Amino acid sequence: MAYSSERSQDARRGFLDPRTKLTLVLVLAVFVMGGLGGEALRPVKTILSALPFALLLAERQWKRFARGILMLGIGYGLLTVMPFLPRALNYLALLCGGILTRFVVTVVMGEYLIATTSVSEFISAMEHLHVPQAITIPMSVMFRLFPTISAEWKSIRRAMRMRGIHLGGAKASQVLEYQLVPMMTSTVRIGEELSASALTRGLGGPTRRTNICRIGFRAQDAVLLAGCVFVVGVWTLELCGVRLW
Amino acid sequence: MKTDNKLKGRDLINIGIYGAIYFVILFAVAMLGMIPIFLPLLSVLVPILGGIPFMLFLTKVKKPGMIFIMAMIMGILMLLTGMGPWPLLTCAIAGLLAEICFKSGEYRSAKKAVLSYGLFSMWIFGNYLSLFTDYEGYFAQRADYGQAYIDAVQKLMPLWMAPVLLIACFVCGLLGGLLGRALLKKHFEKAGLA
Repeated sequence: MAYSSERSQDARRGFLDPRTKLTLVLVLAVFVMGGLGGEALRPVKTILSALPFALLLAERQWKRFARGILMLGIGYGLLTVMPFLPRALNYLALLCGGILTRFVVTVVMGEYLIATTSVSEFISAMEHLHVPQAITIPMSVMFRLFPTISAEWKSIRRAMRMRGIHLGGAKASQVLEYQLVPMMTSTVRIGEELSASALTRGLGGPTRRTNICRIGFRAQDAVLLAGCVFVVGVWTLELCGVRLW
Repeated sequence: MKTDNKLKGRDLINIGIYGAIYFVILFAVAMLGMIPIFLPLLSVLVPILGGIPFMLFLTKVKKPGMIFIMAMIMGILMLLTGMGPWPLLTCAIAGLLAEICFKSGEYRSAKKAVLSYGLFSMWIFGNYLSLFTDYEGYFAQRADYGQAYIDAVQKLMPLWMAPVLLIACFVCGLLGGLLGRALLKKHFEKAGLA
């Protein structure tokens, strides 16, 4: 017998398993952003870089997709116009372009992970991986709080700007005290409410917590995980001095 | 008074809350590191600014293990943000030292709290280790930033900078701890948070 909540969980189920998403973030962070493997892995990296954008499309996250593409476009645009710029600007364009093209991809992947994974799914995935609660609970609280903190910080900055407290303003020296302190105060307060609600729902309780959300590996997960193994394999071969192309 | 020393849900959630604030500040400051001159300065700025949330965090630490878990989570996040495996190692060491130090003050001593944050801050040095342990490889991986960037960083980061940065992390950690304490007294205690 299928409960209606089970059906709704199936409908809300994401395209990928959270564990696959985490593996992808790690692989992208190490190979694309960390630059491991250097030039030799260039073709593999190009395919890897396209991945987060394809995933955002698969999850119908149009806005994030457009923003990521725009940033990447600016990066490659800078690299293209770079040779035609005067000396000083040339250096700046190369640096900004290099940073953007390298970072945007991993940032987009991280955004995808946070936007499409609910806290329940994350905790459930971590339990399947047998990660201790001492790591999963703080991590899931952090992922839940990042968007909140950035929203809070934005509104506090706007409020302080009206009072002339911002970098480059008349009272720039007060930025630290008048922006960081309220940001922390409100985050801690939100966090305390969050903690009360999480405890009510049995997080960190003495018995095993059950979870209704559906996770598990499907064909798309298998393909992407195989891709990750392939990338690591190519890199290992490269280290041993074997060139595939 | 002997209290239950096992970490409960609330303690773990507290680690998450303060860890999130610490990481956001760390991340915002680390973005500056893209500009070569700020790369060594990160070991000054991050410990000082991070001191504010960390001192607030220490007021919630009453049981062994919380500082160590916080450090390990920073290590994992560094791994996920592409800083390589070195921070995990330094996080484990720095976290353990900070834990022992704060524990010796029975999780109450204000002086030990500042010292403990100084020790904790030394994990940041792990982010530089990939540069110092593999000097050639580090710059080969960053060839696409342009020769001007590489020249600038090489000039700023000769090998003898390694111990200097480690000490800078520690000393600025102490300063950050003092700053954090001052703000704690001025704002957070009034707001009823500490």
